Amino acid sequence: MKKTALVIDLDRCIGCYSCEIACKNENKIDLGVQYNKVFTMGPTGSFPNLEMYYLPAVCQSCKNAPCVEVCPTGASYVDKDGVILVDSKKCIACMSCISACPYGARKFNEKQQYVEKCTMCSHLLNAGDQPACVKVCCAKARFFGDVNDPESKVSKIIKEAGSAARSLPDEGNHPATRYILHDKTAKWQNKKSWTFFENI
Amino acid sequence: MQHFKLNRRDFLKATAVAGTMASAGSLLGGSLVPGAEAATTDDTQIIRTNCRSCTADCGVLAHVKNGRVVKLDGDPDFSRSEGALCVKGLSGIQALYHPNRLKYPLKRVGLRGENKWKRISWEQAIDEIAHKLMEIRAKYGAESVFASTGGGGNPNFNGACRFCDTFDTPNWFEPGAAQCYMPRTLIYGMAYGDNKSYQGTDTSLGDSNGVELYFYNERNAKSLVMWGTAPAYSGPSQAGRVLAENRARGLKTVVIDPRFTPDASKADIWLPIRPGTDVALGLSWVRYIIANKLYDKDFLQRWSNLPYLVNTKTKMMLRGKELFKNADDKTFVVWDTKTNSAKPLPFPYDDNLDPALDGTFTINGEEYKTGFQLLKERAEPWTLQAAGKECWLEPKSIEKAILMFAKDAPSSIALGVATDQTPNSTQAAQVTAVLHILMGYFEKPGVLLQRYEDKGVGGLLRTTKLKSFLSEAQLHKRLGSVEHKGMLHWWIAQPTAILEAMTTGKPYKLKAWLERSGNKLGTVANASAWVEGMKNLDLIVHIFLYPTSFSAYSDYLLPATEWLESDFITASLNKCFSRKAVTHLYETANEAWIWAQIAKRCGELGHENCKRSFDKAQTAPESPYYNTYEEQLDHWTSFFGMTWKEYKDKTPFEFTPMERFRRYYVYKEINPKTGKVKGFNTGTGKVEGYMESLIILGRTGQPFTTYPLPPATKDYDPLPYYLKPSESPDNEVGKEYPLVMTNGRLPFWHHTTLRNIPYLREIKPYAELWVHPADAKKYGISQDDWVQIESMRGKIHARALVTEGIAKGVVYMERFWNPENLDTPTHGWQEMNVNVLSKQTAPFNDLCGTYTLRGYQVKISKAKEAPKGIWTEPKQFEPWMPQVSDKTKTVEI
Repeated sequence: MKKTALVIDLDRCIGCYSCEIACKNENKIDLGVQYNKVFTMGPTGSFPNLEMYYLPAVCQSCKNAPCVEVCPTGASYVDKDGVILVDSKKCIACMSCISACPYGARKFNEKQQYVEKCTMCSHLLNAGDQPACVKVCCAKARFFGDVNDPESKVSKIIKEAGSAARSLPDEGNHPATRYILHDKTAKWQNKKSWTFFENI
Repeated sequence: MQHFKLNRRDFLKATAVAGTMASAGSLLGGSLVPGAEAATTDDTQIIRTNCRSCTADCGVLAHVKNGRVVKLDGDPDFSRSEGALCVKGLSGIQALYHPNRLKYPLKRVGLRGENKWKRISWEQAIDEIAHKLMEIRAKYGAESVFASTGGGGNPNFNGACRFCDTFDTPNWFEPGAAQCYMPRTLIYGMAYGDNKSYQGTDTSLGDSNGVELYFYNERNAKSLVMWGTAPAYSGPSQAGRVLAENRARGLKTVVIDPRFTPDASKADIWLPIRPGTDVALGLSWVRYIIANKLYDKDFLQRWSNLPYLVNTKTKMMLRGKELFKNADDKTFVVWDTKTNSAKPLPFPYDDNLDPALDGTFTINGEEYKTGFQLLKERAEPWTLQAAGKECWLEPKSIEKAILMFAKDAPSSIALGVATDQTPNSTQAAQVTAVLHILMGYFEKPGVLLQRYEDKGVGGLLRTTKLKSFLSEAQLHKRLGSVEHKGMLHWWIAQPTAILEAMTTGKPYKLKAWLERSGNKLGTVANASAWVEGMKNLDLIVHIFLYPTSFSAYSDYLLPATEWLESDFITASLNKCFSRKAVTHLYETANEAWIWAQIAKRCGELGHENCKRSFDKAQTAPESPYYNTYEEQLDHWTSFFGMTWKEYKDKTPFEFTPMERFRRYYVYKEINPKTGKVKGFNTGTGKVEGYMESLIILGRTGQPFTTYPLPPATKDYDPLPYYLKPSESPDNEVGKEYPLVMTNGRLPFWHHTTLRNIPYLREIKPYAELWVHPADAKKYGISQDDWVQIESMRGKIHARALVTEGIAKGVVYMERFWNPENLDTPTHGWQEMNVNVLSKQTAPFNDLCGTYTLRGYQVKISKAKEAPKGIWTEPKQFEPWMPQVSDKTKTVEI
């Protein structure tokens, strides 16, 4: 089964925010909402021996997605490529999925009264294109593809990175998104839990 | 929702209503302003164009639907950006359809500062402005009219200069120039050579140099020193991205920057230098490299002027003909260690000689030293320890950085804008040029300084000056430029001298200011002083895309086109591209056309020079002014034997094949005319580490002046020297103001532009003050507190970012202004504008008159609250979201 996800090379990422703005442009996102948000991790250490990296927060493309499991109406679903989507027509704004997402990657759209999230630009994928954030990335740090296909570029990148391929905390939801970060750039900051956005 | 579309017919109709004057026909004749190229069908058209949100021209694919730009993608075929786009470029649509754009020419109806306007026609605006200029010229002289421009994506950088040359006023300025890039172009142009028709002539990554780094797959560069430059912030889609590519392929980097920037975080060595002390650090590198014999001796002997003997009294190089018969102009004198005697050295070199690098010699009773010896003596005080103390750095880290530069070869120093912003500006460029010379880092694979064959295409990409139109008498009156003759290089006046004249009427009165750029009050040092001075002006005109703080003090506002509305020639490496007007809104007009129209009307009112400026025979070899922008474009593209339309349709195309574009070791090529090697385009044909040329510049204005000028009050120094910051923690000023302020880019903005873009402002809604935790504690400041920052010149606010990423004793702010407060008494420039604090007074850089934008003293304290009226929450920016419908068609005057 296909499971597409983003792989982001943080050794390369230069914190330029292009992914964040390209995402907002492409998806015409309201002010105050991001599907993709760049966090500055650090600097850590003490002057002048410092480390810093950038963490673009996105939907972690869980293989066992709690947001889909808890949805009472089937509005949250996984499409043929393994992308987790929300069918706005079916969404009753019960907010269950927002609570269920371990990363806070979903947001309630007040104007439209439904829950929204990163779609991996599925409208572009359907047209044979790549997500906007991947296309625009200045440092060519973002990759998108099928992590279940060992021959895909993302699978090869993950394999080559070995232990430098990081994931956010896994509470059984099995996030498929990977961040590549070698110690030479900075030490990966482990967190027990992670919330990208302050929701509800 | 009504989709807005204004085609050319609508535009003419709208302006025809506005135009009541007889001259309307001539102003609007032809295709005055390029019409929308967009298809009028329902299909989405993808138009290849180029951004101009900064100066980098990244390739863009603009998606246009029903005449409306709906999406911007990066153009993968544009070699410098390879499909990347930064947030400034991505803001193109929000900028284009911003509800607060300047839509029509406006005339002030209230008092200055009241922000009350009425719409007028272009012909009325041009006519009234021209009349006023002519009136002022008759009463006070042409020199009392001055113009200014700025960066901020302005493709007609020399537009203001060209107009001033034509109007016969010597006074135009730019808040950059002496504070941005000119110190580097001046010094590299004289040390490396005048290489106008090449790419790679200096090492500014932000100015489309560093071409060699774009061939990252070849892995030629082994290390790079990024000195006062933050490409991941300033140019993420070009220099920032190629640095990422190079680092991924093993390039080692040193970053010299008081801030812990993204590039610093990825560097092998970070030197968080005390702002303003760069020359001291550079001299320690020179000293170390000489003391440890790390330099390229062979290169120095053959290809540099450092072995040439210099008279220690006159500071001039000894000419061959002073000692030897038959010596030509390019023959200098070296001390041959084989024969222990002075020998003539005809260009290029003589393998029978072994020129001494160092030493002091007596010839005919006069003392001579080699340039190398003088350099060595100049650097002598700057041990690693001394530099460490002065620059607040660890001597061991300095040493590691020098060794990386010297041993992980080839290397280069990419010098950024930081050092341009202190009175040490040209000396910093000089010391880095000298370091390249010592190491022989010229025209080798992997180094930044190159002569890639540009065929003069680069020179086409801009409006040119019209130097020959400025009369001798008027050139002498240029404010500040007799004393600071390096400014002749850009043919420009000194901002502080303009401010002085505006304020005091000395040496003469200034009466009119024509300004084209974002927010001058955000970029000039000590902005408050400028607002005071502006009260003495009879006419202020602001040409821009949207109103800024500066507009509030103006009499006329003229709407300029956004980049998505403008045509221009662009290039990337060896290929030509074109920026295309993909749509056109309201009555915005191309800036080149606006300047031409003002000149034209002045000509009609009797200004002879302005009349002549439309005559090709009179302006040759430069372009004349044209009545329409299309004709101007046709003039530029005639270089390719094409009309603009033909050119635009043909792009992208190679102006030269890649194998001819890329060349190494041009200096070793044989010049067919002389049969000798080409050498370098300097007076000596060598790279010049000892810059006697600066002495000549100071005494005469050569090689830039059109008429002889009196000498500056003192000779310029042919070697780099360090000037201590005039405000410093260890002097009087520092007692009251203990912290050093520095400045620098963020990825969201170019200069003062784009502060009104909702998607950008929601990420960075206010100015931040970076402060070290120890200093924060000392001054009672916690994370996210509002802070008051005060210098001897004013006070402002910012929000504290307490971070280890800045040295103790140093604070950092980015330039900021608040368009949301445009219509309040502050006009948005007084709340968080770091240039309320910066220093416009002496000391100045000798050559360029540079004042102090970085490295002055401030004090900080906790503020009670945020400045009034500023927007900090994302939803507050809603009024600035693009307007989907537009009322242009139905607007009545």
